[in-house]
Parts: sequence; C-alpha cells; structure tokens
Amino acid sequence: MRVLLVEDDGDMAETLKASLSADDHTVDLAGDGELGQSMALNGGYDVIVLDRMLPKKLGVSVVRELRDQGVSTPVLILSALHDEDHRVEGLNAGANDYLGKPFSTRELLARVRALWNGRNREPQTKLAVGDLEMDLLARTVRRNGKKLDLQPREFRLLEYLMRNSGQTVTRKMLLENVWDYHFDPQTNVIDVHISRLRSKIDRDFPQSLLHTVRGSGYRLEG
Amino acid sequence: MRPRLDALLRSTTFRLAIVQAGLVLAFVVGLLLYIYLETAGQLIRDSDVLADQEYASLERAYAEGGIRRLNQEVVERAARPGPMLYVLAESNGAVITGDFQQLPALPGESAQRVDFSFDRADDNGAPKHDRARGREGRLLGGPILVVARDLGDTAVIAGRITRALWTVAVFGLALSLVSGLLAAWQASRRAEALANTAREVMAGDLSRRAPVSGLGDEFDELAEAMNAMLARIEQLVQTTRTAGDAIAHDLRSPLTRFRQKLEAALERAANAEADREALRNAVEEADRLHEMFSAIMRLARVEASANWKLERVDATPILRELVEFYEPAAEEQGLTLHGEVGDHLVVRGDQGLFTQAVSNLIENALKYTQTGGRVELRAQRRADGRIEIDVLDDGPGISPGDRDRALDRFVRLEGARSTPGAGLGLSLVAAVARLHRGGLHLRDGLGDGERRGLSAALVLPALEQAP
Repeated sequence: MRVLLVEDDGDMAETLKASLSADDHTVDLAGDGELGQSMALNGGYDVIVLDRMLPKKLGVSVVRELRDQGVSTPVLILSALHDEDHRVEGLNAGANDYLGKPFSTRELLARVRALWNGRNREPQTKLAVGDLEMDLLARTVRRNGKKLDLQPREFRLLEYLMRNSGQTVTRKMLLENVWDYHFDPQTNVIDVHISRLRSKIDRDFPQSLLHTVRGSGYRLEG
Repeated sequence: MRPRLDALLRSTTFRLAIVQAGLVLAFVVGLLLYIYLETAGQLIRDSDVLADQEYASLERAYAEGGIRRLNQEVVERAARPGPMLYVLAESNGAVITGDFQQLPALPGESAQRVDFSFDRADDNGAPKHDRARGREGRLLGGPILVVARDLGDTAVIAGRITRALWTVAVFGLALSLVSGLLAAWQASRRAEALANTAREVMAGDLSRRAPVSGLGDEFDELAEAMNAMLARIEQLVQTTRTAGDAIAHDLRSPLTRFRQKLEAALERAANAEADREALRNAVEEADRLHEMFSAIMRLARVEASANWKLERVDATPILRELVEFYEPAAEEQGLTLHGEVGDHLVVRGDQGLFTQAVSNLIENALKYTQTGGRVELRAQRRADGRIEIDVLDDGPGISPGDRDRALDRFVRLEGARSTPGAGLGLSLVAAVARLHRGGLHLRDGLGDGERRGLSAALVLPALEQAP
C-alpha cells in the first residue's frame, strides 16, 4: 500500500522508510507539516504516518485540517509526548491511532496494517475466520458449528483478533483496544489471556488458528 | 541593609504619608476659614450693624436739625472714646469735621459700604496705620457722612488666630512627613529583608527563609507565604536532584551493560546466530532503559503537578476488571488472586493514573509472593467515609522500619535486588495517592510469623456517599 511518512528527523525518517518498504509498502517522505499536508491532499495515500512535532505545522493541526478538508485517509500519530492528555488530543483531532516514541518497528508495522485493514470497515454483524464464526448480535462464537463458551472479555479479545485476522497484532494493541489500558504491565498477563483463549478455540480442533508471532505478538489466521 | 533616601521617597508608604500630610493641611485650612468666619467675620458683621445704626441716627439728626445739628452730633460723637469713627464733609469732599482728614472715596448717589485704611495717632500719640469699615453716604442737600468702625483690634486678634493655626499646620505637616518617612523606612526595611531573601535564593541558596517578626502583620503573612513557597520549591528541586542522581545511578549500569554486550559482539568473530542474540539482548536492554525512563518521567509529572484535571471515577468496575485482568497471570504463577470489591465506590481522580496505581500494587504483590501464596484486593468504604483499596499478600512483607523508605523513589529494599523492576512502583502509587488527596499505607499483610506479608492500602476521599 502507499504510505505517506511525515517526519522531520532525517535518520528516523530513513529508518522508518526502509522498514515500511521492507514490509511491501511504497513510501513517500515529507519533512515538514505543510508539505505533508499538501501531499496528503493530492497523493491518494492508503495510510499517513505523522510525527507530532513537525516544523511549520504541528502534526495535530495537520490531521485536524485534513479532516476538515474531507480527507479520510487513516492517520497514525507518532509522538514523544504520550501522556493520556496528548493521546486524547491527537485522537480528538481525527487521528486513528497514536503511538508513543520509542516504539519497536514491528509495533509500527502492525499498526499501519491494522489501520489499512480498518479503513472502511462496514458495520458487520458476523465475523468469520476459517471455520470460526462470531455472531456479534447474538454474542455467540462457533467453531465448525460447535458453540464455544467465552467470557465477555475473551469475546472482546477474540473479536479484535478476528477483525484483524491475517495480521499481526501486538500486545500493546491488545491492551489498548481490548482493555483500554495505556500502560505496560510488567508481567506476561496478555500471554496468559491469549493462552486461555487459545485453549478454548483451538484445543479440540486439529488446525490451530491463533498463532504466536515471535517477538511481535499474535496472529489469527484460517 | 539601610534603605536609601530616594528609595524611601518613592515608597508606597511614604506616598501615603504625603497624602496624609495633604489631608492635614486641607483640614487646617478649613479650620482656619471656619474660625476666621466665626470670630473676625462676626466682628465685621457686628460693626457693620453698629455703623449702620449710627449712620441712621445721624441721618435722623440731620433731618431734624439740619447741618448744624449734624455737625454738633459728629463732633460730640467723634470725641467719645471707642472704636467708632465719624467724618462730615462738604459735597465736594472737603472735610468739615471728624476723626480723620481725608475721605476714603467720593460716594455715589446712595449710601455705600466702605472698607479702607487710614492713618491716625494711637493712644500714645504715635502714628498708626489702621483699617476701618463702615458706611459712607451723601445726605440730602450734599454733605457727605462717613460712619466707620476701627477694625484695628479685630485684625490683631484675627492675625493671632491665623498665626497660631499656621504654626499648628506647619508642625502637623512636619509631623506627618516625619512619621511617613519613619513608616516608609520601617516598611522598606522589612520589604528589603524579603527582597534580600529572594536574592539569596536566586543566588542558589534554597535553604534561606524570610525573617518573620512575630507581630503577625501583613509582612509576616507575606513572609510566611514566601517561606511556604520556598519550602515547596526546595522540596521539588530536591526531588528532581534525587531523581537526577538516581537516574544517573540506575541508568548507568544498564547502559554500561548495554555497551559491553555490543562491544563484545563486535570483537567476537562474526557468528550470525550469536550476533542476532546480542542484538536481541540489546533491544531488550534498550526497552528496559526506556521503560525506566518513562516511569521516572511519569512520577516527576505526577509529583510536580498541582492542577491535574480530576474527574469523577467509578472505581468499582475498574477494580473488578483489574482483578479479572491479573487473575489468569496469578494462576499461571501458582498464586490465587481474589477480589472483594464493594459497590458504588466513586472517587475524584484521573482514571488512567488510578488504574495504573492499583495495577502497580497488584503487580507488586504478585511479584513478591511465592508459589502457593495468595493475593487479595479488598476495596470498600470505610466507617469514616473514605474509600480504601487494600492489596494484601502473604509474601515476605516489609519490616516496619523500612516502610517509609519503601515509598521513596528508587529505593529497592535488600532482598529485592534480584527481582526486576525500577523500584518506582510504590513511590508512583504514593504520588498518585497524594494527587488524589489520599495516602498509601503499608502494614502487615496476610502472613504470620516469619512471613509477615504486606498490605498496601490506598485510601482516598470518596466523591459520593453510598446511595
């Protein structure tokens, strides 16, 4: 997909560009907020990755103005300021995701893919990955026709994985999107939740759907 | 330091003293005017009446007995002792008889009030310049009559009163200027003491405090407020300094390790697998450094902020969810995590920080409790209306003597060295508790005997009473 990267730090921009390119994206680079905004207006990008502190125009202003100008391209803000206030401000301005620096490259790549995946998500009532089916209205999950018994939080966790099926989701993404926690637990709490979910959806079936991606996170794939 | 005179003259107190002196002056002038009107003014009015009566009486004598009778009356009356003066003149102004030799002015058609000076001999025969006031008029047929009263004595009295009042005014003015200067000097001396303290603090001595006189006046109030501010600043600076030292200390070793590992990997013969392992380690080390740094920054931000935006936070679902969140991990560790959360626990706070503080307490308990142990979260409204969120474990606990120190930032007690963590957990919780106008209390937990266990209780004021 086509990614617009707006970042003024030259080294950082080159590293990010190389990583995104290696992940099969076509990357255009803008070095300041104004240039980034005009490129975003004309370029037809799939995802915009925007630094918060930019020369000429701040990232938050760029997003707000792009949204006012009718550009709905998903935006990910990168910021060294990642207090709750700043995050909320960025999201309120119209950004779709907010990632604090420093971050791992895998985290960034996973989030860019998730943004692309969710760009024009239509309201769905049913999700399916392989023979796993989720009915969002009836709040039921079946695998191969057999009903699975999930706790409410497990249901939310599985829903998020299914919506992002085929892609890697990081622990941080799960924390933020499933629990709305914006701190890093020091223990392996997420891993335990995943293994419990896995025991419910995969144990009695020959084919595993929920995979661990070493060093990154998890992937649900049929 | 002695305040300089020009600084004194510019001071607010002195300006007030000047205004006060002006008021004294205005009052004295007003008093002067009043006394003058009441004394000299009254004398003048009385003499006007007297002169008018005499004039009317002489006018009658003229009407009855003509110029001869008038002349006679004037001569008689002028000869009498007393303050009244009489002059009779021909219609052209030539004086016929009377107390002095020249008319004050030629009168018009009707009688008029005259106020004039004249020379005459006093009682001892010496020449005397005097003031007189009376009535002058042209009688039927042309002669001019002047009846006046000598104001000499009156003027003397009025003069004395005026002089006395001026003397009082000058003394009053001098007195208010001197007292103003004294007050200004006193005020500047104390303001100067405050300014000196400020200058000394600016020069780097944060331990300086403004002198408090003990009089309990506004300067004391100012000095006390300033001292409280300085104490707070000193505490914050001390915290920052400690944090700086601790950052230097705590980050130096992981940074050194980081560098050594990379260096060792560089010096070794190329080995793809070992190199990758070294890089992975380096990334983990960098993450740890970052995590620690974030924790330090977060703590500094919570501690430094007095005006954090606090909102209504319903603690009950947050606490239940946290227990649910950590329960599987506890079980995996061979521990039991049990939650007992009361309904409708509402506090005023920051949801993110509150959640993080409680999660720190739970993680802390999980970290120090051995396999087979138990951790409990009990949240309830206490009898005093405050909300207590108590996380208890049956781990080694903290001895009473170490508890205060455990809440200091960066302190990691002996025996905790081998367990991971930046040592910021409890101090962050304590800082969050302070931000929420509450406190963190450490006590013995679920253990007994050798293993005392730890109870870390977050006590916060309740926002709403139970329904």
